[in-house]
Amino acid sequence: MYQYDSVDKTIVKERVAQFRDQVNRHLNGELTAADLQPLRLRNGLYMQIHAHMLRVSIPYGLINSTQMRTLAHIARKYDKGYGHFTTRQNIQYNWPELADVPDILDELADVEMHAIQTSGNCIRNISSDQYAGVAKDEIIDPRPYCEIIRQWSTLHPEFYWLPRKFKIAVTGATEDRAAVQFHDIGLEVVHNNANDIGFRVYVGGGLGRTPVIGKVIKEFLPREDILSYCDAILRVYNLHGRRDNKYKARIKILVNAMGIDRFREEVDAEWQFQKDGDLKLHDTDFDTMAAFFPPPAYEDLSDGDERIAKWRNLDSRFNAWYDNNTVEHKQAGYRIVNISLKEHAVAPGDITDDQMDAVAEIAEQYSFGEVRSTHEQNLVLADVRQSDLLEVWKALDAQNLATANIGSVNDMICCPGLDFCSLANASSISIAKQINEKFTDFDELYDIGEVKLKMSGCMNACGHHHVGHIGVLGVDKKGEEWYQLTVGGDASNNAELGARLGPAIAKDKVGDAVSDILHVYREQREDEERLLDTFRRVGVDPFKERVYAETN
Amino acid sequence: MALSNTKAKADRSKKARPKATPSRIQSNIESNQAIVNQAIVANTIIHVAETEELTAADLPTGEISVPLNLWLAEKDAIKARNAKIAVQIGVDEEPEDLVNDLADVDMIVLPFVSHVDGQSYSHSYKLRTRFGFKGEIRAIGDVKFDQLGFLTRVGCNAFELPETENLETALRAFQEFSEVYQPSADSGVSIFSRRRAVH
Ligand code: SF4
Repeated sequence: MYQYDSVDKTIVKERVAQFRDQVNRHLNGELTAADLQPLRLRNGLYMQIHAHMLRVSIPYGLINSTQMRTLAHIARKYDKGYGHFTTRQNIQYNWPELADVPDILDELADVEMHAIQTSGNCIRNISSDQYAGVAKDEIIDPRPYCEIIRQWSTLHPEFYWLPRKFKIAVTGATEDRAAVQFHDIGLEVVHNNANDIGFRVYVGGGLGRTPVIGKVIKEFLPREDILSYCDAILRVYNLHGRRDNKYKARIKILVNAMGIDRFREEVDAEWQFQKDGDLKLHDTDFDTMAAFFPPPAYEDLSDGDERIAKWRNLDSRFNAWYDNNTVEHKQAGYRIVNISLKEHAVAPGDITDDQMDAVAEIAEQYSFGEVRSTHEQNLVLADVRQSDLLEVWKALDAQNLATANIGSVNDMICCPGLDFCSLANASSISIAKQINEKFTDFDELYDIGEVKLKMSGCMNACGHHHVGHIGVLGVDKKGEEWYQLTVGGDASNNAELGARLGPAIAKDKVGDAVSDILHVYREQREDEERLLDTFRRVGVDPFKERVYAETN
Repeated sequence: MALSNTKAKADRSKKARPKATPSRIQSNIESNQAIVNQAIVANTIIHVAETEELTAADLPTGEISVPLNLWLAEKDAIKARNAKIAVQIGVDEEPEDLVNDLADVDMIVLPFVSHVDGQSYSHSYKLRTRFGFKGEIRAIGDVKFDQLGFLTRVGCNAFELPETENLETALRAFQEFSEVYQPSADSGVSIFSRRRAVH
C-alpha cells in the first residue's frame, strides 16, 4: 500500500501542530468556539449529543496491521474501548476529549494516518472498491488513482471552503462496489478503443435529502487529465454552487439547475485554461504510484483444495461462513474473506479494541498484513490462502467476528442515529437490533439470500437508505420516532432509488414490516431471483398490500 | 444565461449589476493596521461599502477602495482623484469584469462577509494565474489567523483582520506549512512534478 514520503510526513505532522495550536488558542480564549468549529470539522472532529466524535480517514479503505493496532490503542486509551466503521470506509470514535485530540492525531501521524477533511465543506475521503486489486471482475486497479486524487485534494487551498461537502469515489471493476453514481464526482476507470486508460466521469450524484443519480459528464477522460479536469469541476462548483440554503448547496443541485450539457460546457471552458498545465500527469506518475500497490507475493497455488470440501462437510457453521463471508479471488488458491461487524446485538460497524488487535494479528499471519474497510461497514482480509481458511475462521470466530451474514438482511448498513447523532430524528441502532431479532434462524436468512438493508436516522441519509434493497428512514412525527420504508433501491451499476412503500411505520412495527416484505418475496420469487429482481418484476404493490394489511 | 437560475450574477452585457447585496460589505471598513507581505503595517485605507445611491462625489478623501460597480460606472472620476486605485470584488461578482482595467488598478480588495464562503479564493487564483494581476490582493472582513495560509496560497498578499484579532499571533499562520501537494497561485508545481524531477 502507499507509503508516505518525506513530503506526506511533513504535511501530516505540520497539520497536527496546526490543530494543536488551534485547540490551545481555543482553550486560552483566543479562538472562539464558533471560529474553531469549521476548523475542527476539517480535522474530523464533531460535537455530538454526548461528546465529541472524531472521524479518522481511511483512504479508499486500506489499513495495515500496524495502523489497525494504533486504532485499537486509540479506542483503549482515549475512548471507551471501541470504534465504529462508517459507510465512507472511515472509523469514528464517539468519546474523545477535545484536549486529547491533538495527541490522538499525533499518534495517527506516526503510522501514516490522519483525520484531514473527514468532515466540513471540503473534499472528503476518496472511497473505492473494497476488493480493489483482488476482485475477479476487476479491469483496472483503482488504488493508484485514488492516491493521486487524495494527494491533490488534501489541503487544497482553493477548495477548502466549498458550498457543501464533496465526495469522490473510484471504481475499476465490472461490478461497481463503490457506488460511483451516488457521488459528487464518480470515476470509473476504463479502457477506450485504443486501449488507453481513462475515466468515465459522473458528476452530481448523491443521496441526502434530494437523492440524485450522477450524470455522465465525460465518456472518456484520458487519465493524464484527471486532476486538471477535477480541478475545473471544483472551480465551477466553488464559483456557482448555491450558498444561500445548505440543502441546495451540493453540486447535484447546481448540475440539475444548469442541466448537464450547460454544466459540461462551463467545465470544459474552465478546463481549457489549465488542461496542459502542471496538473497534467505523466505515465511515470502512474507507474510510480502503481508500484506502491504491487500484487502481494502470492504462492503458486491452485483452486480446489480438497480439504475445504471436507471441512465444509464436517462443520455446518464453517460451511455457512464460507458460503456467505468469502468471495472468489482472482489469484488461484486464494480467497477474499469478509469480517462481519454485524454481530447480533452489536451496533453495525462497531468493533472493540481487542477485536481490532485480533484482526491486525490475523491479517499479519494470513493476509500480508493488510485489512480493508468497506462501505457496508465490514472489514476484509483480501488475500487469504484457501488452505488457511479453517484457521482464519477459527481465529475470527473466537472474536465473534465470523457471523456468517454478509450480504444478508442482517448485514445492515446503519448510521449512528439518535444514540449519537445530534441531527437524528429517530434511533437506528435499536431498529437494527429489532430486525436482527426477527431473523435468528440462519437457514431462513440464507434462504432469503442477498438483501441490502440500509438505514438512516434522518434525511441526511448517511445510512444510504435510498439505495437499500430495503431502505429504512427515521422520521419525526410529533416528537415520536417513525420509520419510512422504501424497496428496490440499488447502488450498483444499475443505480436505482428505492420506491416508497407507503406511510411511515411505528417504531415497534419495523421488524414486522421487513419480515412481511421478505415473506412476499419468498412467495413470489422465481428461479434464482433475489429480492431486488422479484421487486423489479412485480413492482411495489404486493409488498405494500402485505405490510399495510393489518393497519387497513 | 442559465447561471442566473442558480445565483444572482452580474450580467456584463446589460451592466445591470445588483448593488449592496448581503454578499457585500454593509458598511465601510477601516482598520488601523494591516498585514502586508507578512509584515504588520499601519493602515489608512477606507473600504467604502456599496449603497444604491453611492457616486464618486460621495467618496471620502484619502486612501480608499471602491466597489466594483462604482468603478465600472465612474472610472474617470475615480482616476481623477489621483490616488492609488483599489477596487473591491464581492463574492457574487466576477474578476472577469475588471480584466480590461487591470493596468489601472493598484489593489484588488476581496471582502469576506463570512470566511466560510470560499468564492474569493477562486477569484484570487484566477486574478493571479489567468489574468496576471501583479498588484496587491487584499482580503478584508471576516478574515482571521486561520484563513491566512490558504489565502496566501491562492494569491492574496495583504490582509486586514477584525479588531479582536492579535496580528502578532496571526503572523504564525505563514509558517504553518513547509510543504504542499498541489499547485496554486504561489507555486506552479504539483507534488507529482516534483517527484518526477527527483526520479
Ligand atoms: S443519517 Fe442523520 S441521523 Fe444518521 S448519522 Fe446522518 S445525520 Fe445523523
